[in-house]
Amino acid sequence: MENGFIQTDDLKKYYRMNTVGVKALDGITIDIPRGAFAVIMGPSGSGKSTLLNLIGGLDWPTSGSIFVDGEEIEALDETELAAYRRNKVGFVFQSFNLISSMSAEENVGFPLRFAGVQAAQRKQRAREKLEEVGLADRMTHKPTELSGGEQQRVAIARALINNPVLILADEPTGNLDTTSGLSVMHTLADLQKSGKTIVVATHDPRMLSFATQTIYLLDGKEVSEEIYHQTIEQLSWEGTN
Amino acid sequence: MRFSDLISLIVANLSRRKGRVLLTAIGVMIGTAAVVTLVSLGAGLQKAATESLWGISDLSSIMVYPTYGGEMGGMVMIGGSQQEQQDAVLLTPSKISEIEALPGVEQVIIQDYLSVGTEIKLDKLSSWGNIQGVSVSDLKDMNLEASQGTTELGMGKIIVGAYVNRNFYDPNQRYDEGPIDPPDLMGKILNVTLIKWSEEGGETRRTYRMEVAGILQETRGEADYSMYMTLDEITRWNEWGRGQRINREKEGYNQVIVKAESPQIVLDVADQITGLGLQAYTPQSMVQGINSFFTTMQVIFGGIGAISLLVAAIGIANTMTMSILERTREIGIMKAIGATNNNILAIFLGEASGIGFVGGVGGSILGWGASKLINIFSASYLASQASAQGYMGNTMLATVTPFWLPIFAIVFATIVGLISGLYPSLNAATLVPVSALKYE
Repeated sequence: MENGFIQTDDLKKYYRMNTVGVKALDGITIDIPRGAFAVIMGPSGSGKSTLLNLIGGLDWPTSGSIFVDGEEIEALDETELAAYRRNKVGFVFQSFNLISSMSAEENVGFPLRFAGVQAAQRKQRAREKLEEVGLADRMTHKPTELSGGEQQRVAIARALINNPVLILADEPTGNLDTTSGLSVMHTLADLQKSGKTIVVATHDPRMLSFATQTIYLLDGKEVSEEIYHQTIEQLSWEGTN
Repeated sequence: MRFSDLISLIVANLSRRKGRVLLTAIGVMIGTAAVVTLVSLGAGLQKAATESLWGISDLSSIMVYPTYGGEMGGMVMIGGSQQEQQDAVLLTPSKISEIEALPGVEQVIIQDYLSVGTEIKLDKLSSWGNIQGVSVSDLKDMNLEASQGTTELGMGKIIVGAYVNRNFYDPNQRYDEGPIDPPDLMGKILNVTLIKWSEEGGETRRTYRMEVAGILQETRGEADYSMYMTLDEITRWNEWGRGQRINREKEGYNQVIVKAESPQIVLDVADQITGLGLQAYTPQSMVQGINSFFTTMQVIFGGIGAISLLVAAIGIANTMTMSILERTREIGIMKAIGATNNNILAIFLGEASGIGFVGGVGGSILGWGASKLINIFSASYLASQASAQGYMGNTMLATVTPFWLPIFAIVFATIVGLISGLYPSLNAATLVPVSALKYE
């Protein structure tokens, strides 16, 4: 696998919540090769979503740099960033983030509107993607008429519609039952096999069996697997006592 | 993003919240309807005023009078300094040639009044009248049209205004009998008797038989009660009354009508005539005054309507702010899937303009309908007034909706929507995607 597809260097993101400063990311340097299935493991508040959002260009870092596929993300202006999100990245969220007034087909085709694709072509491509994720019989259903697993697969179809090189999934199984969650994991694994780079932020340990690379985060810092497990065990031991 | 896609998205978003969009649009509708109705009313009043003043609105003619030594009152004067007023300038034939030579002058018509005592008789009926001679062979040159007969003047012929027949009365009639029906004058012979008195008090009479060759259409002006003859014949009658020839080079004419080539240059020509030392009077200067008064009135009327539009604009801004607050997450999603700030701005500005447009269309229809209703009610009111007073009133329209007004109102309402949506839409467009996505 080709190295340096995603590279961050001393990436920091600080927030101010009221008067308290929060270090969401505190100096992250990672390297994810093209075609990887990278899993970012961490408990809630560890900064894994923040890292994913920075890679996806949904947020700006406080300092440090991010390179994706040769582009320096933090140097892009708003319009270039929109083009980057539109052409190179597909997002999958924990809460699906589908538009409730639109049918599955319209939701999947929605990114193509901003890419200037004609209506007839949008419809055709959306149908193809829905068939790929096994929802051929749910094209005209509204999100509320679909199960959680089905909604997440619509969201994956939407993430794929622009044929991006990179799929970013933030807790994709967090709102799903065990079976649906596993099915979503398999779908992501299939995408990786077809050549896409997958980055998943999760605390679901089942995801690790698909991973080619795992990044452990605690309080905004990358840690080794051993320290991670020790800390988590300690936390859960403290929690039960 | 394609323009057709933008429009379809805006329409879809608006129809998602029909109730709210409609309620907001009703505010715009009322404002627009107020503007359309009030401006129509203003335009209608202006038209009625100008028309009733100037009948056929002959805006290209200028009345020209000689300047006598000393002050002259009563008329609206154009220019004329103190110096010029002191020297008498008469309308002599040579002066008239000077006027004719001015650029922009199409025709100069000499107008003279009969200055001899007169009695007019039609069989047993008597009348009086304003008889004038004009230097044209056809009254069409004075913008007068015949309702019966001809407008061509000739020896022994007289052409009368539309209401001249109302001046006839029966001198032998008893006071308790009602007024007579106005006689039909067309083709009749009028006996016009000129009367002059000698210094000793002796009376001399001379009667001419004049055939009524034509009756003029109503002008709502001086012509309705005037009788027209050739200038030559009137001059001969006046010379008989005075007992000597009139030397025009010494005395000049009483008045001439100067016709300009077009209404646009009338004021220019009038200025040049004033430059010759004469008094020029044009109906256009008065019409201009009336017009500017009514324009002010329309602006005030429009302003009242605009206030209700302003209230509606605040309504749109409020609706858009609420809508954007509710859809913050949706904005985050759109940004995550590749919408630019301009895309978001265009969508929300489009929705705000859409509300304005819907209100503008509804308001234009409503305002147009209200204007028509005002016309129906005012027409029936005028008709009842007319029948109560025993004559047919002129069916004047109370409101006039110029064709551009509804179009202007729709465009204006759309722009009002656009401007109201500017602030909330800019807020929406510049949201940080990650915080928009987290918004609950």
